[in-house]
Amino acid sequence: MAYQVDKKSWWEEFKQSQFWKSIFRHGAPTDKRNQSLVILSNVFLHLHPVTARKSGIRISYTWCMGGLAFFIFLVEVITGVLLMFYYRPTAEYAFNDIMALRDHVPLGIMREIHRWGAHAMVITVWIHMFRVFMTGSYKPPREFNWNVGVVLLVLTLLLSFTGYLLPWDQLAMWAITVGSNMARATPFLGHEGPGASLLKVGEVSLVHSGDDVRFALLGGRFVGAPALLRFYVLHCVFIPLAAAVLMAIHFWRIRKDGGISSPV
Amino acid sequence: MSEEQKPPTTPTPPPPAPAPTSLPVQPTMTRRKFLSWFALGWIAFSAAMAGFLTSIVRFLFPNVLFEPPMTFKAGLPSEYQVGKVDERFKIKYGVWIVRSADGIFALSTVCTHLGCTPNWLDAEKKFKCPCHGSGFRMSGINFEGPAPRPLERFKIELADDGQVLIDKSKSFHQEKGEWSDPLSILKV
Amino acid sequence: MDAFKQFVNNISSPQVLVTLAIIFFFVYLKFVRFFTRTPVFLAMLGLFLAFCGVSLTDEHFRSVVTMPDNVPIVGMIFLIIFFTWLSLRKAVDNDIRMERGEPTFEASESKDKLYTWPHLVYIELLCMIIATIVLVVWAIYLKAPLEAPANPTVSPNPSKAPWYFLGLQEMLVYFDPWIAGVLLPSMIIIGLMAIPYIDRNPKGSGYFSFKERKWIITGFLFGFLILWIFLIILGTFLRGPNWNFFGPYEFWDVHKVVPLVNVNLSELIWVKWLGAGLPKFFLQREIFGLVMLALYFGVMPLVLAKTVFRKLYMEMGMIRYSLFIIFLLVLIALPVKMYLRWMFNLKYIVAVPEYFFNI
Repeated sequence: MAYQVDKKSWWEEFKQSQFWKSIFRHGAPTDKRNQSLVILSNVFLHLHPVTARKSGIRISYTWCMGGLAFFIFLVEVITGVLLMFYYRPTAEYAFNDIMALRDHVPLGIMREIHRWGAHAMVITVWIHMFRVFMTGSYKPPREFNWNVGVVLLVLTLLLSFTGYLLPWDQLAMWAITVGSNMARATPFLGHEGPGASLLKVGEVSLVHSGDDVRFALLGGRFVGAPALLRFYVLHCVFIPLAAAVLMAIHFWRIRKDGGISSPV
Repeated sequence: MSEEQKPPTTPTPPPPAPAPTSLPVQPTMTRRKFLSWFALGWIAFSAAMAGFLTSIVRFLFPNVLFEPPMTFKAGLPSEYQVGKVDERFKIKYGVWIVRSADGIFALSTVCTHLGCTPNWLDAEKKFKCPCHGSGFRMSGINFEGPAPRPLERFKIELADDGQVLIDKSKSFHQEKGEWSDPLSILKV
Repeated sequence: MDAFKQFVNNISSPQVLVTLAIIFFFVYLKFVRFFTRTPVFLAMLGLFLAFCGVSLTDEHFRSVVTMPDNVPIVGMIFLIIFFTWLSLRKAVDNDIRMERGEPTFEASESKDKLYTWPHLVYIELLCMIIATIVLVVWAIYLKAPLEAPANPTVSPNPSKAPWYFLGLQEMLVYFDPWIAGVLLPSMIIIGLMAIPYIDRNPKGSGYFSFKERKWIITGFLFGFLILWIFLIILGTFLRGPNWNFFGPYEFWDVHKVVPLVNVNLSELIWVKWLGAGLPKFFLQREIFGLVMLALYFGVMPLVLAKTVFRKLYMEMGMIRYSLFIIFLLVLIALPVKMYLRWMFNLKYIVAVPEYFFNI
């Protein structure tokens, strides 16, 4: 024969190529060795252990709510970045840009996915906490991870709260006015909080509407253009970064504390 | 054996005993000295961090605010009728100007509950807040709903040209007995 | 039908609904083995669905429930109902197994190890796909709300905080902002964080159970289901213009007049009962409220430590017990203050507006 018949398909050939092997250093995950390698050699999959207890994998046990909360966070990041292309956080433009997102942009459901995703994330985080409580999974050695989770819950609510202002419509402005006015009542730090009127030098009060904790949040005495910009920066940069760091800790600690909880 | 039990011939060694190291020179840094430098270093570090933190907090408070001015002129006193609430300055300055039998006073439009803007209901002669239902009489006294205290009044006086001059930077609280202050109401 | 609607509207007030919810909550947990049986659950769910279905024919009910921002809350109600049932059902199953001396369901499986590829990653993939489909369909059929451009001088009526804070906003009716807006959220956060350090019961870790952790589960569920979720539902669906309370079939009338004449404890005692005027000095004026608070938060923990919680106090020690009792007393104080308002129109127990200090 002048040439040998190659029985391998082009796909099999491709999987033997230097290019493929430079990316995947193991075979198809059909045997135990490769099932382990696929988890160990992938930066995303290695959030998981190679093996886990059957009781901890069952969806009727985990409800997959923590995983879903993380997934929805990723959805929010992606849709949020896309929305940022069209949105300017200034009092003149913000509302019109939101209108434009609906009318001038193809696939005008990006804001809808982002908004409903935010609601869904709040709900999934609550239910995740509920499940962790009901299975006693905060008990030693997982106390610290429960605390990280509580902070993540707060950050989720803050993310949703700061995002609420950005459409710059009546709903947004007054929800934030009502919400942020509670900061005026912070003891000692808000100008209408208990004890604030005690902090004064002579007749000059140290805590007033121009320097209290609400002012720091809003950048003004009322919800105006500076507040919009501050909430935008908090919403798009500061809180997501903080949440991402804490999520890393949260996931890492799950592994360090012995994986998904199960009876001892 | 007994020789070994004997105390050393030299008297007790001087307090700064030579360090039992191979170094021939005596260390210039004693433990105590080192600790004090160490403490000083930490204090300096903490102070610097506190300074950075303070400047970050201060950064949140701009020096210039682009908000409407705190003082404004609101026309002549004769423009106001007794028993009426003037809403002309509500939108721009957040102030109602009310003339009662006693005189003219400037009421803040910020609800003392959570800062919503109440509406003046002329038929019912009251300010009603839509957020949580607080109600205030024309004088600003709270009488229903969750508001804990009356609306605030602003400093009011006559300018040189005879117009009413309102200064929002000074407010008067009824619950502190400040409404008896002559600057809280313009007697006309 | 109209008679039914009229009846429901008439009994719809915060006091009646919260009372019913609390009674139902404790009856449910008392007879949890009966209520979590699948036929009972399905029957109750069916009743609830029938109620919703019938109610949807009412235009006022429909207009509130189908507001775009309220739809997630409708979804959340069903999720919470389902998952509460599921967790208690599995807890009861495990309790029964343990009574028989068998291992819990989780323990019977915890010795088996499975490879996460494919057993776990495929579950996750499926969940992600389902979540994506739900989100996209939801986004296509329901437009995100957008109202008139922001206008700082016109407050819409009602002005509501974002829905997840409506439980706190409901508390604002009964408490001063510094409590409802600052103290309570802080205490919720710190209280949640303190749970692992207060609950030292080693049992019930890693499996659903109720019997072994009865009290902590009851306390947590009371806070989560009644004081958080239920108040959100009230605030979303039944609080209308002027933050007035409306029945589910009632038109949201802006001009509904509700007498809201509340009195402080100091006025009640000094003026009404003693017939004297209010003292000028605030410490003298508020002495009764301050004493009540001191009794509640100062003396009560000590008395409880000697009596009801004697054993608990011994086990927990000073610091744990103090934390535990403060959170417990605050948790109980919330409904107590609500009932005081409903029964005596009590506004503040301690009212010192001079220093913005009202309780």
